[in-house]
Amino acid sequence: MEEVFALNSIRVRFVRGEEVKFISHLDLMKVFDRAIRRAGIPIVYSEGFNPHPHMVFGLPLSVGVTSQAEYADFDLEDGFSPDEFMKKLNSSLPPGFKVMEAKIISKKSNIMASINAASYSILFAVAENMDDEALAQKLADFMQEDAIVAEKEGKKGKKAIDIKPMIIRLELKKPGDEREGCRNANKDSKSACSDMKYMDPDVWLEEYVESLYRADVLPPSYERESIRRIDALLSAGSMANLKPELLIETFGRYIGQELKIVKIHRTGLFVEKEGKLLEPLDGNAL
Amino acid sequence: MSFKINDEILQSVEKPTRYIGNELNSVHKDLNKVKIRYAFCFPDTYEIGMSHLGMKILYHLLNEREDTYCERVFAPWTDMEAKMRENNIPLFALETHDPIKNFDFIGFTLQYEMSYTNILNMLDLAGIPLHSKDRTKDDPFVCAGGPCAYNPEPLADFFDFFVLGEGEEIINEILDEYNIWREEKASREEFLSRIAHIQGVYVPEFYSVDYNEDGTIAGISPKNKEYPAKIRKRIIKDVDTVYFPDKIIVPFTDIVHNRIMLELFRGCIRGCRFCQAGFVYRPVREKSPQTLLEQARRLENSTGYDEISLASLSTSDYTGFAPLTEGLIKEMEEKRINLSLPSLRIDSFSLDLMEKAQKVRKSGLTFAPEAGTQRLRDVINKGVTEEDLLNSVTLAFNGGWSGVKLYFMLGLPSETLEDVAGIADLGSKVVSAYMSVPKEKRGKGLNVTISTSSFVPKPFTPFQWEPQDTIETLREKQRYLKSCIKSKYITYNWHDPELSFLEAIFARGDRRLGRLLETAWRKGCKFDSWGEHFKFQSWMEAMEECGIDPYFYANRKRELDEVLPWDHIDIGVSKKFLMRENEKAHRGEVTPNCRANCSGCGATAFGGGICIE
Repeated sequence: MEEVFALNSIRVRFVRGEEVKFISHLDLMKVFDRAIRRAGIPIVYSEGFNPHPHMVFGLPLSVGVTSQAEYADFDLEDGFSPDEFMKKLNSSLPPGFKVMEAKIISKKSNIMASINAASYSILFAVAENMDDEALAQKLADFMQEDAIVAEKEGKKGKKAIDIKPMIIRLELKKPGDEREGCRNANKDSKSACSDMKYMDPDVWLEEYVESLYRADVLPPSYERESIRRIDALLSAGSMANLKPELLIETFGRYIGQELKIVKIHRTGLFVEKEGKLLEPLDGNAL
Repeated sequence: MSFKINDEILQSVEKPTRYIGNELNSVHKDLNKVKIRYAFCFPDTYEIGMSHLGMKILYHLLNEREDTYCERVFAPWTDMEAKMRENNIPLFALETHDPIKNFDFIGFTLQYEMSYTNILNMLDLAGIPLHSKDRTKDDPFVCAGGPCAYNPEPLADFFDFFVLGEGEEIINEILDEYNIWREEKASREEFLSRIAHIQGVYVPEFYSVDYNEDGTIAGISPKNKEYPAKIRKRIIKDVDTVYFPDKIIVPFTDIVHNRIMLELFRGCIRGCRFCQAGFVYRPVREKSPQTLLEQARRLENSTGYDEISLASLSTSDYTGFAPLTEGLIKEMEEKRINLSLPSLRIDSFSLDLMEKAQKVRKSGLTFAPEAGTQRLRDVINKGVTEEDLLNSVTLAFNGGWSGVKLYFMLGLPSETLEDVAGIADLGSKVVSAYMSVPKEKRGKGLNVTISTSSFVPKPFTPFQWEPQDTIETLREKQRYLKSCIKSKYITYNWHDPELSFLEAIFARGDRRLGRLLETAWRKGCKFDSWGEHFKFQSWMEAMEECGIDPYFYANRKRELDEVLPWDHIDIGVSKKFLMRENEKAHRGEVTPNCRANCSGCGATAFGGGICIE
């Protein structure tokens, strides 16, 4: 009798923390492959000479960037609920990775191919003489331009491109939120703190800035007071892709300053459906 | 001031994952609960050090102790080193990123001579005095083990003590002694004095070396009678029950050997006369196939690796080879785990095995005849005949293989140009063997690669008295071999002899080389085994400055009665046996392997393994 497996596709959102921000996209896939093996999760393998597990990851992250909105699709042999999958995978992933949500995806959609936009919180350092109002004005001017020319490093050297159409939204924010951070709210519970951090970018960034100026760590080349934050929603994916690094470099050139990127944190990935941007786990996106 | 690295630095260097730690199965401990901090140092990059089985074993073994925290330390690559020096960041351990200067022990593993400059560089980066004599009670104890520790003399100035032989038992004895010593708040020398009584511990400062007028050694003896005149290595008698980790660290980034490694046995029955490992690891001691299968299962569960390799000196000689490989293939197939096989003696069994185990292209098979003529193969006691080789390759060609790699050494004792030409000859015979296989059976695109390395005489081998060919002679032989190779199917690769020359100096060096090592390092020598960093000119200048004659060490024939710098080290194999083997070599006589017949090397004294089977 022929064996028939009913396929079960599960999409997850996972966090990629500070501990694992320097690993490459290829290494990330190996981490999940091995975690799945250790957990004994029955993933579907491709046919052929060199079988590989059926898993697809969304937009690759640059090395050094953290994220609380990474997505991946896994094809499993039937009989695994998303909750079970999430629990098993989390117990087997190395520290720094955590699956936050998992859902069955009804039809075969490919997360890698369907991403249209990504949101980031970007911390950067300005020169001392720049006050917040001036920066806000510059950013507003920047967004009023008809075209914003950036120099993109391509395979054949630098290329001038207009990034304006790829900037969906830019917003100047305080580096960390001024609300009570998790440290005050959950003094006793470390895990609650990390969960809170995984859900709230403000907490994450605030903690990060704290960590930069810890007494036993080499201080960074910029003062704490010079750190600014932009939250950006940018085109992403195979059609048009604007990396936050290029945005900051271009904005820096616009205002005549070399802006030092302190940290980039991805806060969301989005798919476009009928003119709306939806999270990949939104009921309407599945 | 001492600072830990920050993100800005990590972002600016190549491969930051080398420096962050946090890998799966790395050990994290509460610092308030540990009493001993041990820095296990590998004097090369993360990718190389992390591939080393011995480090994996000892790291986890030490961390089994509740009172001890063992962390890993690797040589930072030059880009990182520059950042560290610029910002006064001291050498740190990977787990905690704490500076290792404040640890209790700094333990280096000595795998190859050309990593010695990295040791000095790492001590310097750590802020630890380079010389043992300059260390005070605030400094850690700096020790070393591994194969190069069998001739520790070139490093005698820099290490407080050496550990000879296998480490699983002795390391615990040393740490236990340390706990007692620390309670008593006794002197640094007192600790060294106590452990010098543990079999396998060598404290170089307790020994003095006298020299003859011609520069050879007159004698090596303990300064005080309470220390042993001969320091005997340690072995684990029963390797089947010795500690082996259930978990090993799984790196995020790719490393050289990124897989589960099973150690089938220690030692080697063969006794090839050029091979140091074949003598220093005697006697042969095997693990049982059941133990190995169980270890494979545990490691597979704890790592998620999809590949297992078999690590031993001459894997085909493992007596449980068939049950082990059949068991592994059966169990691992459903888990989609590949068995990666080392180069095996080729017969129908091993070809069948390769077919089953490796779902890769039938591209390359590797053979190591080592010498081009039967005469020279007998001299080196390499029990391989031309017929064996040609039968094997014919079998492989019939099975569809089309690529063959042949490894040889140039400069072996008694080698003539006839022997060199024999290498090319053997290559052509392999080509003919391919041509004689019917077209429909053999694979397409024959490719025979001949690689030659340069012979380096090593301590504790029958060739320890032999001269190395000069760089010029080796080059000449390479040119000659190149001119002898006519077939378009043969590719010839060779090694630069300069590195082998330096290796030969340090392999058989004495204490006087400490100054040379330090001088070369001060001239910027490091990562010598990395082609792009090897500064031969600087080494030659350093020799000039130190008044060291390299030919004395590399190219001089020693008399059998000369006192050798490592004569106070006892590996169990007797000097008399090595002399006998040397004489047999010059007569072109072979010695049977340990399983065929005991030749009385002396390793029986350990009372273990093949000697008592």
